[in-house]
Amino acid sequence: MLFKLAVRNVRRQIGNYLIYFITVSMTVSLLFAVNNIIFSRELSAFSENMELMSEGLTAVTIFISLIVAFVLSYATSFMLRLRKREFGTYLTLGITRRNIVSIFVVETMIICIFALALGMIFGLFIYQGLMAVMMNLLEMEFALSAYSLSGIAFTVVLVICIFIISSLASALYLKKTSINELIHGDRKVERAVKRPAVWFTVTLVFFALFLGSIFACNYFCGIISEGGGAATGFFLTFVVMAVSLVLFHIGLSKSIVYILMKNKRLCVRGGNIFVLRQLSGTLSSSSVMIGFLAFLLLFSVVLSNISFAERALLKTSLERNVPYDIMYSADTGSEYAIPEDQAENIIEKYVKILDKKPYGLYTSGRSDFYGQTRYSGEGYEDTTDVFMPLSEFNLLCESLDCEPLTLDNEFFIIANIPEIQNCNMQDVIFEWNGKEYGYKGLSMQYPMFSYTFFYVVVPDEAVTGMEKVIDCIAYDAENGSFDASALREELSYDYITSDGYQSTACDYRIREYSRQYQNAQSAVLVVGALFVSAIFLLMAMAILALKTLSGLADDKKRYLVLYRLGMGSGEQSRTLFKQTFTFFIMPFAVAVLSSIPTAIITNNIVSTVGMDSLASRIYTIAAVIAAVFVIVYLLYYLATYLIAKRTVIYRNY
Amino acid sequence: MNEILDIRNVTKYYGSGSVVTKALDSISFSVEKGSFTAIMGASGSGKSTLLNVISTIDRVSAGEIMINGMFLNDLNEDELSAFRRDQLGFIFQEYNLLDTLTVEENITLPLNLKRVGLTETQRELKRVSEALGVGDQLKKFPYELSGGQRQRAACARAIITNPALVLADEPTGALDSKNSKALMQTFIMMNRSLGSTILMVTHDPVVGSYADRVLFLKDGRIWSELYRGERERREMYREIMTVSSALGGDNLAGNGGDGDAV
Repeated sequence: MLFKLAVRNVRRQIGNYLIYFITVSMTVSLLFAVNNIIFSRELSAFSENMELMSEGLTAVTIFISLIVAFVLSYATSFMLRLRKREFGTYLTLGITRRNIVSIFVVETMIICIFALALGMIFGLFIYQGLMAVMMNLLEMEFALSAYSLSGIAFTVVLVICIFIISSLASALYLKKTSINELIHGDRKVERAVKRPAVWFTVTLVFFALFLGSIFACNYFCGIISEGGGAATGFFLTFVVMAVSLVLFHIGLSKSIVYILMKNKRLCVRGGNIFVLRQLSGTLSSSSVMIGFLAFLLLFSVVLSNISFAERALLKTSLERNVPYDIMYSADTGSEYAIPEDQAENIIEKYVKILDKKPYGLYTSGRSDFYGQTRYSGEGYEDTTDVFMPLSEFNLLCESLDCEPLTLDNEFFIIANIPEIQNCNMQDVIFEWNGKEYGYKGLSMQYPMFSYTFFYVVVPDEAVTGMEKVIDCIAYDAENGSFDASALREELSYDYITSDGYQSTACDYRIREYSRQYQNAQSAVLVVGALFVSAIFLLMAMAILALKTLSGLADDKKRYLVLYRLGMGSGEQSRTLFKQTFTFFIMPFAVAVLSSIPTAIITNNIVSTVGMDSLASRIYTIAAVIAAVFVIVYLLYYLATYLIAKRTVIYRNY
Repeated sequence: MNEILDIRNVTKYYGSGSVVTKALDSISFSVEKGSFTAIMGASGSGKSTLLNVISTIDRVSAGEIMINGMFLNDLNEDELSAFRRDQLGFIFQEYNLLDTLTVEENITLPLNLKRVGLTETQRELKRVSEALGVGDQLKKFPYELSGGQRQRAACARAIITNPALVLADEPTGALDSKNSKALMQTFIMMNRSLGSTILMVTHDPVVGSYADRVLFLKDGRIWSELYRGERERREMYREIMTVSSALGGDNLAGNGGDGDAV
């Protein structure tokens, strides 16, 4: 009988449950898609690096499921509040609390079963879409991917856990709330905020702190990208940013209406006072929720920006870090290095070598240049300057279409890390073989031919008498894909470290291998960020929508009064729009506007590491992400507004 | 012209197909400016339907309604809203004050909807709040007031725009007899001192006895009509009871008791 009642209730309440149902379905479809990626055979067969991706995504999925569970329990409480009078009436009719909890749990379970089914059907398509993104990121050929039983089972387990956690809060509420509270609870009017001026001060202080933390974040990111140690400062800044964002929204929610109500002329205009009073109750009672949602949205915006920027950065940095297809670099006379002939035979098994350019790095045995950096003095006694002859440098540049250097008794420094740019190299007079060489310049824009912090390009005669310390060869190989992992494996060798431990090394940098590794890394980041952002955005929008819809029963009575007082349907619609839109925009505005400082900071970072060319792409990424957020936001808002309008707006006849 | 409301052959049907109810059956009457008229009748007699069509909340099936020289049938949706806002004042059984607004904000809301300026709004607020004795309750919310105070606030809201007609739907329905009596005194004051024209629906003979004129509805038609003239209220009450008995409406006499309760 109770089950029948629950089924009937679900059918009757389908309108109220619609947004909840859609949100749960979409969440399930995303979980389903990501879980299938985690267990995808295609991806695990593609590369050993996929293990890293699977582990990362599993952790993200479990973390997200927990957040979803708590957010949905909050959403379920709105559904409960919509119907507490109904449950109160059941109690007066003699139905036990246990039965009522059962009815509600069965209702929620029915919704979840349908949402699970629908979500998995949608998930079938979303999985293929996400796999297409993954394959694109991994440069794999697109093909329809098989579904994984483990992925499906993992989704079902997660959804059951989410359902149990989200039902617990509602069950506890129904167990403890008195009949009187259930039946007459809606008669309570949300009380006015105490000390709105104090809350307004809180708003201003924490907004200033939030802005300050953005500047601090920019500062610490700059230090970190230059290679400095500022991890603690950055972490603290992020904490301050999060806390100040939440408190700013709490303060704003509790004070904005009271500040606006000081303007009497604004209040007497049309339905403004009605809107302000409606908002004052809703905003102040939801202030913590608004702060929390603002944080979730900000996190999503920042994460999406960083992941896509990271992807762009990795792609560009690959061209710089491994400018030739294969690059050999080993200490001269290394006893473990694979002999050149043997190594080239191995390479030829995988890919045809078209050209090779041998070059060398030399040392003066002194530290005229390193002396200007922090890599000198105690602990760095063995660190000596590294030089490359100009002709070899220009030969390497020639094939890469880089501008060749011309030196006239000068030296030029190629920095591989940003902090070298801040060292005082201009005053160094390098003296060698009785000749002096002056400073010509310093750049981070050239491809990386040596894996040292920096090296000094000098005229060929200047390396005469220097000791050759590193043998290098740059190989041009035929275009086309090959098994880079296997090649790297074959070019690796075991050696004994100075501590006596056995280790594995490879003196060859293979661009294809680096690309695959970076692709796996960025695929995890991009797909993970897309997943997290989509879920957070869905959750935030669903909470806002459900909170709005849960107040519709009371709003309906109020709008009827406005209608009787002569407010036409057009003005009622405008009033409803102001009321609902202000509530929706509260946690959203700052989070989406944060795209701008996020793009600026990201751009500063890539500029610091010498990737200025990425600037326009980073701003485009930020704009696209913000646009996607705004579109999803508008869709949810529109659905909510239309449901609210249909429910509360009265028309003549 | 002294007639503020003129109703001609108004008929209202509900339902469709084979299940059609005639709620109003060719009703015609008029209300003069500055009068206080009560409409009485048993449950289902058509009182509320009549009030709904006059207040433009419902549409007539046939006939015409003219208020302050305007035919309601000719007005479109926006004009009807503007008409309600400018020409009508409402007082309901459940007060219908907005729970989120203070008493002051509730009272001035109709002026806000008319886009009246701040200075004039404050002046009108002072006038009606003092007249209705809610001047010291303005900063409170409705839930902080008694039933009688809430209904007085609703009266203040109904007359702040100086409407052509104040419509009251069972205004004492949620009040005890003491507060009912006080509210009727307020209605008399609004009618005589402030010049409000009041059309009130009630099924309570005691409340009806405060009016200058009482229309009795039965089965959607005007069955009888009483004018107070120079009579005392107690005498009016007895007349109402007599007509009610003849009307045969049990509900009508239900709240009345005997004449001493008046």
